Amino acid sequence: MASTTAVDVVMPQMGVSVSEGTITKWLKQVGETVEADESLLEISTDKVDTEVPAPATGVVSEILVQEGETVAVGTLLARIGGDGAGGSAPPDEAPAEPATQSAADASAAAATEGEAAPESAEPPAERAEPAPAGNGRAFVSPVVARIAAEHGIDPSQVPGSGSGGRVTKKDILAFVEQGPPEAPQPAAPEPEPVAQPEPAPAEPVARPQPAPAAQPVAAPAAAQVGETLEPMSAMRRGIAEHMRRSLDTSAHVTSAIEVDMSKVVQIREKLKKEYQAAYGVNPTFLAFIARATVETLRDFPWVNGEIRGDQIVTKSFVNLGFAVELADGKGLIVPVVKNAETLNLLGMAKAIADVARRAREKQLTPDDVAGGSFTITNPGGYGTFHGTPIISQPQAAILGTYAVVKRPWVITDENGADAIAIRSIMNLTLTYDHRLVDGAYAGRFLRDLRERLQSWGESDY
Amino acid sequence: MPEKTYLQAISDGLRQEMRRDKRVFVIGEDVGVYGGAFKVTLGFQEEFGSWRVIDAPLSETAIIGGATGAAIMGMRPVAEMQFADFVSCGWDQLVTVAAKQRWRAGTPVPIVLRLPSGGGFSGGPFHSQNPESSFAHIPGLKCVCPATPEDAKGLIVSAIEDPNPVLFFEHKHLYRRIKGEVPDERYTTPIGKARMHREGDDATVVTWGAMVYTADEAAKAVDASIEIVDLRTVLPWDKQAVLGSVRKTSKVLVLHEDTRTGGFGAEIAATIAEEAFEHLDAPVKRLAAPDTPVPFSPALEKAFIPQVDDVARALKELIAY
Amino acid sequence: MRVVAIARVAEPSGSLQEVKEWGLDREDLLQIYRNMLITRGVEERGHILYRQGKIPGSFYTGRGNEAASVGVATAMAPDDVGTPLHRDMGVHITRGVEPWRIFAQYMGRADGPTRGKDGNVHMADARLGLLAMVSHLPAMLPVAVGCALAFRIREEKRVAVAWFGEGASARGDTHEGMNFAGVRRLPVVFVCDNNQWAYSTPTHLEYAVEHLADRAAAYGFEGVVVDGTDVLAVYREAKRAIEKAREGGGPSLIECQTLRMEGHAVHDDAFYVPKELFERWAERDPVERFRAWLRGNADLTDEEEEQIGSQVKKLLNDALQRAEESPQPDPVTLLDGVYATPEDLDTPHHK
Repeated sequence: MASTTAVDVVMPQMGVSVSEGTITKWLKQVGETVEADESLLEISTDKVDTEVPAPATGVVSEILVQEGETVAVGTLLARIGGDGAGGSAPPDEAPAEPATQSAADASAAAATEGEAAPESAEPPAERAEPAPAGNGRAFVSPVVARIAAEHGIDPSQVPGSGSGGRVTKKDILAFVEQGPPEAPQPAAPEPEPVAQPEPAPAEPVARPQPAPAAQPVAAPAAAQVGETLEPMSAMRRGIAEHMRRSLDTSAHVTSAIEVDMSKVVQIREKLKKEYQAAYGVNPTFLAFIARATVETLRDFPWVNGEIRGDQIVTKSFVNLGFAVELADGKGLIVPVVKNAETLNLLGMAKAIADVARRAREKQLTPDDVAGGSFTITNPGGYGTFHGTPIISQPQAAILGTYAVVKRPWVITDENGADAIAIRSIMNLTLTYDHRLVDGAYAGRFLRDLRERLQSWGESDY
Repeated sequence: MPEKTYLQAISDGLRQEMRRDKRVFVIGEDVGVYGGAFKVTLGFQEEFGSWRVIDAPLSETAIIGGATGAAIMGMRPVAEMQFADFVSCGWDQLVTVAAKQRWRAGTPVPIVLRLPSGGGFSGGPFHSQNPESSFAHIPGLKCVCPATPEDAKGLIVSAIEDPNPVLFFEHKHLYRRIKGEVPDERYTTPIGKARMHREGDDATVVTWGAMVYTADEAAKAVDASIEIVDLRTVLPWDKQAVLGSVRKTSKVLVLHEDTRTGGFGAEIAATIAEEAFEHLDAPVKRLAAPDTPVPFSPALEKAFIPQVDDVARALKELIAY
Repeated sequence: MRVVAIARVAEPSGSLQEVKEWGLDREDLLQIYRNMLITRGVEERGHILYRQGKIPGSFYTGRGNEAASVGVATAMAPDDVGTPLHRDMGVHITRGVEPWRIFAQYMGRADGPTRGKDGNVHMADARLGLLAMVSHLPAMLPVAVGCALAFRIREEKRVAVAWFGEGASARGDTHEGMNFAGVRRLPVVFVCDNNQWAYSTPTHLEYAVEHLADRAAAYGFEGVVVDGTDVLAVYREAKRAIEKAREGGGPSLIECQTLRMEGHAVHDDAFYVPKELFERWAERDPVERFRAWLRGNADLTDEEEEQIGSQVKKLLNDALQRAEESPQPDPVTLLDGVYATPEDLDTPHHK
């Protein structure tokens, strides 16, 4: 039967280990007719010389491989019938060498991996000495890391009874159950933020000094008439402990500033559609603020800093934490976008969307909630215009954002005349640790941050 | 309930099945007139005759191949290797033919292969091995390793019922040393399900066969609450039971009498690391015989087979981590 | 030192009258001829498919063994079982395996007997009493002995037939299987396809006796050497041996002498076989030989020959087409069937 669509003639596999064949003679040329099963060409392989029968009856329309050429098994050699060149689908070429090549690559890769492994090996060797080298408290086993992440606990705050002072699963479970122990924490080789507050330099502050750390309240009492009792969840206990400790550690002072977000509003409107369509992400106000904040922190490193013992730590990076409220008021968690200083507006928007989603879907890893250097929180999500958030230890400050509200605003035009306009105004607060950051420093930070937001250009990103 | 030895339990289970189902027959070396090298089939030939308790020639190929062919023809052979060590002589029949027949050709091969395995009595390199890991690697086979008399009887019955080739590793050192309550009536023990030998909170031991008793002694010697999972079946192994225990204690010791490298414990350890990583409070520990053939002299054999002290020490290290 | 041959050498096939005495009438003879033609046709067709790149892996034929395989299979009763090997396509055809399924098997399609899980002739049809071979030869020989064991235990009048090649006879499975069968006088017939070459190894490098059939005596039973290209002689010896086994007479060993007319597999051009040997045995081509016998002894006419020929051609063309329409196996089926379920035991074999 003659074919109307081209039939492929391929190099057959003459034997399991044969990978290629050589054309020794074409018995038909282009334009000649051949019957099905009639010999079409002669080939030579390293196992046998043989003839290849035509797979169909028709006119030889193309010969693609010439006499004397050696090709891989499965290579398209010729076509029978069809409208001439390019009729049928491309052949699937069986790799001639890659079988050995990829094996060679694989063994080369394995060799280098094998060599690299001993050098990079951190976990303890076979005859396991349980204590890893150095600070036993620094090593966190997988189960401890998971439990810590689930409850928002910093394992370094948990007393460890394991080998080398390691925090064991029992230790952290006990911590979750009972909170921090009554006895003072054992002195650690590395300086940790100290529980006792230091006397602050004399400067008018809005808040009184907090009292020394209070111990957790003792035995639960029975419900009185009209009362309902429920146990605190582990996360709630974790939050309670952290908040109390933070107030006991830092000298909390809050300064506030009003920002005219009109430009940002305008630009945001323009970008919204483009971002959604091209990137599937919303350019939120938070993204703009975060971007401006990261830029401003460059000039005010102590706001991104930390007190360790009696040393001040400043960082070349900004690991930006975003406070995320969990569903049903279950609590809050602060995922961290690492190296936020490397992100532009789009990158920031994407990063924020990602951590927020993962926080809500409980997909954060322990690494995601650790290592922050500065935090942004949004107490204004429900319309409030002011607040005094608590700093996330061991950071030095926390930025609070509030509702963007249209307000009548006095503006001065280019002639110096004053007029009333409707502007989108947002408050920002910086709550800072007055042990490290003074009011003037904080004020300048807020001033520069406001300036950046108010002068956001269309080409800024 | 009557108490029986491990050996007696196997014998009773086998005998009951032969009475119940004419298709069941026994074939092996010296199983008939002699009653089996370990006397598991003592009295069987008198009861069932020489065509149901067949004294085969000295040929593991004929025994295993013969059992395979007979099983394909509808019988339920229970073939015996005199020592598990001799299964290597009939490896081809088992692995090339029996294991692959169902998958390849849709032909089930319902055979049971009884394998007296294990050491501890100066049997030397060729009478003491525990070859279960070699066969756990072969798709199509099942491998069971009962530790208690009750499980031995239940598993031999389940093995006979199972339509696949089942390797029944009966530990020789348990034959007469271990006694337990064994119901008289017929019952089955599920293949693929572990048994909680001992419950605890501080650490888990995953093991099977004679090592269950070693682990038990070691657990008593350690000042901690030790959980012991007796796998009972090596292939398919009860992953859920093991992972559940790991989630509970977060510390695990995998223990087997077989040699260490490529022993089945490696598969268990890797699976725990893969699937229960976030529940681990210590590295997964393995304790097994060293990578040598089984030695003959008692002084050497004691250094080879994991002893109670070895297990206790491993547990102490694990607890202290 | 030359070893003295012990085994009986079978007489060649006789006249139509004699053949009738063995239980074959003219229709049976034509059917035998048809089966031989189909056997050859399936393998020739498959060879072409292979060279067209439609059959993956390697391709083996039993060219030259058509009489030996069809002859033995014709002598088997419906309830008998067998473990044929890769030169015994004639056994599958004679027992009733449909050619389209064989082509599907070759091409690794979903409708092949192994659904693409194994290739070549590694296939079985439980309903037709055939067990699937393995590559480790002759591992199926002890298994066939096991089948015979089951028949013996149950006192059934069924026989197992075990095939093996002269090369594979060097392995222990042959000895261990035959020994067990001989010791217990099991109803099994051993058929040796002696085609003189195990890949490139000639017989004098495989065994030191004159005939492999001579070894039967060592196992306590009778051996016979027969011209493997003489289908009727093969039939006669096979029938004798099978019925003897059926009546409790124990095993026999039938050595069918042929020449492997193609390479070990078709990628092997068998350069090591002397050309004269091919020429000499080509003159004894089993299909041609039987055709000549039919013309000379059973009045086979041109019309009958023509009819049978075109029936076979049509059968094979239809089979090929049907096989090519069979789909490739779905990768999800890879994990299926590693383990049997109790329902699987409902096979004809296991009943």
